[in-house]
Amino acid sequence: MKKNTKNGVTKRSRALVMRETRSAYLFLLPALIFFVGFIVVPMVMCLVTSFFNYTMTDFEFVGFANYVEMFNDPVFIKALKNTILIVVVAVPAVTVFSLWVSTVIYPIHAASRSFFRCVFYLPVVTGTVAVAVVWKWMFNKYTGLFNYVLSETGVIDQNISWLGDEKFAIWCIILILFTTSIGQPIVLYVAALGNVDNSMVEAAQVDGATSFQTFWKIKWPAIMPTTLYIIVITTINSFQCYALIQLLTSGGPNHSTDTIMYYIYYEAFKLYRYGYGNAMGVVLAIIIAVFSALQFKLTRAGSAE
Amino acid sequence: MKKLLALLLTGAMAFSITACGGEEPSDTSTGSDAAADAGENVAAGTEEGAAGGSGEATDITLWTYPVGKFADAETVNGFIASFNEKYPEINVSVEYLDYTSGDDQVTAAIEAGTTPDIILEGPERLVSNWGAKGKMVDLADLWDEEALADISATSEAVVNACKSPEGVFYEYPFCMTTHTMAINYELFEKADALQYINEDRTWTTENFEKALQALKDSGVETTGVVYCGGQGGDQGTRALAMNLYNAEFTDAEHTSWTMNSEAGVKGLQQLVDWSNEGLISYDAGAQAADELQLFANGTIAMSFCWNASNEAQYASQVAFTPYPVAFPSESGTPELAGGIWGFGIFDNGDAAKIDASKKFIEFICDDPVQGPISVASTGFFPVRSSYGNVYAGTEDEARMETFASFMPWLGDYYNVTGGWAEQRTAWWNMLQQIFGGEDVQTAADQYVEICNKATADAAQ
Repeated sequence: MKKNTKNGVTKRSRALVMRETRSAYLFLLPALIFFVGFIVVPMVMCLVTSFFNYTMTDFEFVGFANYVEMFNDPVFIKALKNTILIVVVAVPAVTVFSLWVSTVIYPIHAASRSFFRCVFYLPVVTGTVAVAVVWKWMFNKYTGLFNYVLSETGVIDQNISWLGDEKFAIWCIILILFTTSIGQPIVLYVAALGNVDNSMVEAAQVDGATSFQTFWKIKWPAIMPTTLYIIVITTINSFQCYALIQLLTSGGPNHSTDTIMYYIYYEAFKLYRYGYGNAMGVVLAIIIAVFSALQFKLTRAGSAE
Repeated sequence: MKKLLALLLTGAMAFSITACGGEEPSDTSTGSDAAADAGENVAAGTEEGAAGGSGEATDITLWTYPVGKFADAETVNGFIASFNEKYPEINVSVEYLDYTSGDDQVTAAIEAGTTPDIILEGPERLVSNWGAKGKMVDLADLWDEEALADISATSEAVVNACKSPEGVFYEYPFCMTTHTMAINYELFEKADALQYINEDRTWTTENFEKALQALKDSGVETTGVVYCGGQGGDQGTRALAMNLYNAEFTDAEHTSWTMNSEAGVKGLQQLVDWSNEGLISYDAGAQAADELQLFANGTIAMSFCWNASNEAQYASQVAFTPYPVAFPSESGTPELAGGIWGFGIFDNGDAAKIDASKKFIEFICDDPVQGPISVASTGFFPVRSSYGNVYAGTEDEARMETFASFMPWLGDYYNVTGGWAEQRTAWWNMLQQIFGGEDVQTAADQYVEICNKATADAAQ
């Protein structure tokens, strides 16, 4: 009887679990449909078509020919170098700057903190086109703000074509990317600093730890998961830098601001070489995955220490 | 209760997704939807409407690039209303494209199988791009003997531009223009540089250089800007470089590119030399729109991207007299780049839609009343000689007469050469290279090599 009761309870539990599981899957279903339809299927299609000479008129299997061509394509190599330069400069700069701003504004009055958060977040919520138009005006060779200030202060004799000079164009792009990328990390870091256990900070201070030691030994490990997220997200965003290039330089001058994302767009939408563009997309995805995995590994190791 | 709520929520979410994914705008309904609409339209139809076909309603879509007032919904809706008076059973829905993202939208539509029925643009897209790729309908039946004779009387080049090398017509044109440059009249007057421009608004390369020098001497900081930050308005820089020493851009058969010829390289080298001497400026960060704005602001003394439509667009912004002139040439006889606009039909495999689209095109282009109105709305000139002066008696008459005076210098329409899209990118990249210090002949050779490869690929 006892056993039967137990069995009865077990059966009921199983039925409940089944029902809950079914409900959970039903709730997940809409997101799953979107994920499969808009992420998984396009990824598979991208991978498959990267082995084809896929254009508006052709669809012919070519094996690894697109990949071979890619690594012999000087524009792709240039775009790859530019993309890596953007990532290598922008990611540390964004992370360090946003951490510094957060630590400075975190202790101040709540109203002032909110004000600064709004200021730094503004470029994030402003449309990319609007941001690009304003920057384009500031960089304008003839009527731009930068040339006006620099020439008025005697720093330059001749106006500089900031976006039209190979020496400056990529750095201008990185600067704009930087200003549009710091908003979210600052908000996240301020929130993360608020979650650091204050009793541990106070204990360290009682034990005579300096401000730097308190930050480095207590706060830094505590905000490491946030740092990891920020680094990964900023890396992915930097690798996928496209809109600014499209709006400001079209990859010029002389391919000095071409990025892989822009080159994919150019090959696929301007020259209708979808297969070749997809092959570049696959390589970009692999590079991003490798970078992200490395970052996970390194930051987890740092966190364990 | 909880279960019921969960079920309802799940159902609502699933339904919303299905609804989002499946919904189509009512104005792009096809198939059974169109058939369902048929009853209403037939009921409201006229005899002419009934004569238009089987009496069933047909929904067609029109995508327009911003060609004059074809970018203005009010104007286009007015045209459609006039069309519907004659053909009430044909419903036309419109989408307005721009030159920044329009090509991408069309490419995406081609791949997704959602192309419009009709598209308004020029031969470089309709004929040598989408037509050559087999996406367009042969419009031979629109090009009847009368139309052929009428348009040929204006220019045989227009007829040739609208058909493929195999002789298939992929465009039915209705308006055209020549692209010119423009000067700031008052600045030229002040610099005493007007003397270098002939009465017929042509000038020689030698006199152009003298004018540049005069402007510099009179204190003009930036005379003109050779913009090369992208492909926007590249017809201006091409015409400038080509005309300086009367080079040709392609061979007569449009099978190979020739700007690496002696005359072509000389023209390009001249631009670099003027730039080095400070007589002219170049900007790899600017496109035509930026240059036009600088001109409109009065910052620079000339624009290399001018035509009747641009003049109308910037009329309210300029505080000086923009004076259209031809591009300077060694011989004094320029060869101006042209623009020809008209309609093409995407082959969506629906005979009823194709038939309806042809009716719409015929109405907009050939209707005795609507045709001239359509042309005038673009700010350009009719391809049909029988239309005469469509601006006669309007406030634009005198202004348009000026631009009409450039028509005799309309040059070869080489835009139909295969590989046009690749050429456009290669051109501004080449300009960036030569102004960046690369040897002009080497850069021009590379440019021609890229273009010829693209042309050969397109021919395959």
